[in-house]
Amino acid sequence: MSYTIYSATGCTRCKIVKQVMKERGIDFIEQDMKAEGKEAFQKFYAANRKAIFRGPDGVEFPLLHDGEVIRQGIGASVAYIYSGMKLDGFFSVGTLHKEWVDGIHVSGGNPAYAAEFIEVLRYIKNTNNMKLQLDTNGLNSAILEQILTENLADVVIMNVLGPKELYGQLVGKDVDLAEIEKSIALVTKFPEYKFQTTVAPVVRQDGDISYLTTKEIGATAKLIAEATGSMKNPYLVKLFKPKECKDERFKGVESMATEALLPYRTAARSHQVFVEIEKA
Amino acid sequence: MSYPTVYPTGVTIYNPKKAWSGYTIFQAREVGALLIDMNGSEVNLWEGLHGFPNKILPGGYVMGHLGDRNNNFGMQDQTDLVQVDWEGNIAWKFNQYEFIEDPGEEPQWMARQHHDYQREGNPVGYYVPGMEPQTDKGNTLILVHKNVKNPKISDKLLLDDVIIEVDWEGNIVWEWACNEHFDEFGFDEAAKNILSRDPNMRTSGGGMGDWMHVNSMSVLGPNKFYDAGDERFHPDNIIIDGRETNIICIIDKKTGKIVWKLGPNYDTSEELKKIGWIIGQHHAHMIPKGLPGEGNILIFDNGGWAGYGVPNPASPTGAKNARRDYSRVLEIDPTTLKIVWQYTPAEAGFVMPTDSERFYSPYISSAQRLPNGNTLITEGSDGRIFEVTPDYEVVWEYISPYKGVHLPTNMVYRAYRVPYEWVPQVERPVETAIEPVDLTTFRMPGAAPMGAKKTTVIEGTRPYQGDKALCVAAGDEVEEK
Repeated sequence: MSYTIYSATGCTRCKIVKQVMKERGIDFIEQDMKAEGKEAFQKFYAANRKAIFRGPDGVEFPLLHDGEVIRQGIGASVAYIYSGMKLDGFFSVGTLHKEWVDGIHVSGGNPAYAAEFIEVLRYIKNTNNMKLQLDTNGLNSAILEQILTENLADVVIMNVLGPKELYGQLVGKDVDLAEIEKSIALVTKFPEYKFQTTVAPVVRQDGDISYLTTKEIGATAKLIAEATGSMKNPYLVKLFKPKECKDERFKGVESMATEALLPYRTAARSHQVFVEIEKA
Repeated sequence: MSYPTVYPTGVTIYNPKKAWSGYTIFQAREVGALLIDMNGSEVNLWEGLHGFPNKILPGGYVMGHLGDRNNNFGMQDQTDLVQVDWEGNIAWKFNQYEFIEDPGEEPQWMARQHHDYQREGNPVGYYVPGMEPQTDKGNTLILVHKNVKNPKISDKLLLDDVIIEVDWEGNIVWEWACNEHFDEFGFDEAAKNILSRDPNMRTSGGGMGDWMHVNSMSVLGPNKFYDAGDERFHPDNIIIDGRETNIICIIDKKTGKIVWKLGPNYDTSEELKKIGWIIGQHHAHMIPKGLPGEGNILIFDNGGWAGYGVPNPASPTGAKNARRDYSRVLEIDPTTLKIVWQYTPAEAGFVMPTDSERFYSPYISSAQRLPNGNTLITEGSDGRIFEVTPDYEVVWEYISPYKGVHLPTNMVYRAYRVPYEWVPQVERPVETAIEPVDLTTFRMPGAAPMGAKKTTVIEGTRPYQGDKALCVAAGDEVEEK
């Protein structure tokens, strides 16, 4: 298997990924898209456009390619080098820059590989002094607890998906609500944290699809209040973006205007006083 | 208006035949909301009720605030907006815009209201025939503050102006934030430069840039321009003015976009040049349908100092780079941008420019169009409220005797006149004319009367001339040539 790293001149994250490979004795070819590798990168990009994330600031580097699999960003690349595909779901491409690394999803991967996941975090944060922003939806609370114990996160954002009675449906599987509540409580112990809820569409009992109601967002804010014992948590209510949704059932849902979030904010403020709404 | 050391307070002029008589509400400095009749009798004082501003509603209700935020942390934030009845009972209250935890203060919800609000039923907050503000239902538009970061404007913390619409139950149903429309205001590069470096930084809360300082917010209401098909003047649209930027603009209620605008510069077209620089203005609003001048924009153009732009000798950094030491009340047709009526030092009878400062309030102030065509003007910095006819005769004048202790001024932010019928709790007062005093004979006890004991005649003296050869050239001297 031959590895190629597509990098950009001066990119710290690229240097870290290259270092991991050197430490592990893995040979690779580097193609610096700002230097001699420009043509090679363009060719690679043209052939794999769909698999490469392009954010508002352009393509995020590094890109790791082993001939079959592409991994983009520091987290996903290091995880792949460490553990192959075992850690898929824990990492995606981030959008933060400089010393910050995001795209790290505590709830996204298989908890059986918690040790490997933690090892990657240690490498990025402790060995390379990067700052980590993690997110969670409450699943894998034991991993979150270990991350807290080892001070492996600088910021944690928790997506509190909805009220207790809808949590399982919103996650897509049965959940242990005690675990969700445990995560909510843990999140407040990190150096910086924020709760957020997307006003998402839900399949109702009669089969109809409708957005979470204001009452349900109020109940979500209440869940946070009960689990944290505080009404003063930073809490953001977000808009659902049908175009970005991967669930085919919800792609046709009519998008909601920013103004429509105002009554949700009012409802949430009964239980959390620092609620803000996302601006489109 | 520059006062001598001794001057009368209370009502100084009242012509019942020419004035539009009623009650006048204003905030008596550090005392409360004060309702007076045309002779200055104090009909009701809602003691301690703050007013930024106070407004009277039909039925003897008054609107105001229970308090303001500690100035160490907030800039002009009122804790709430309340409607109280004649006896002071709270009939309606809103305070749930932001939860505030200031050091050493009780954590609490605050409205952070400032400068203006409008109750549904009436677009401007003053008397308009057939457009009574609702008192037991309806939405309220409220101008509030919010601290924001917007690197497009500056990297400093900004004190932003936000308009919220609140229903009777206190739910926020509409919201518009000024900073989100920065690109629509038409600032040039010089203005953006100084805004970025100094967005009117104030010391409260460790420093925040009061970059726009919106001081007026009202609804257009039904109007002839919209009736004729001009969508910019949709009755639901909102007009605001920002004193720091010299901007007056209309916001489309549906889209939030700016659809009509005066400023920030007044030298970019012939129409604007004729208007001249509007500086630090207050209370810009559309005269509601049913009042003389309906559809026109009435503005108290303070003068003073405001604006962002190219540095000049009076503004080395470009902050507050427009200056003028007198005020104007302007009535402007929003479609032609022509001045339809104005009250400036010239109309007030003062020699310009040498006596211009005698009509001058560099901050606060307002103008209300009355049903008979008169205009109630609050020349706020000196606590003077007066009513002028369309041909500039002062038919009522009141000087506030209420001087503050914490802030030693008798300033009046804004006054409103309402009809007697809006206050059914008291009998209609007797109206007693107050003739203007002949200043040549008005004396303090002990002061000698005018008139020389001996007049000495000198042969060969010539008659006195007018003002053409004063040390300072008149503003219109060049035009006259």
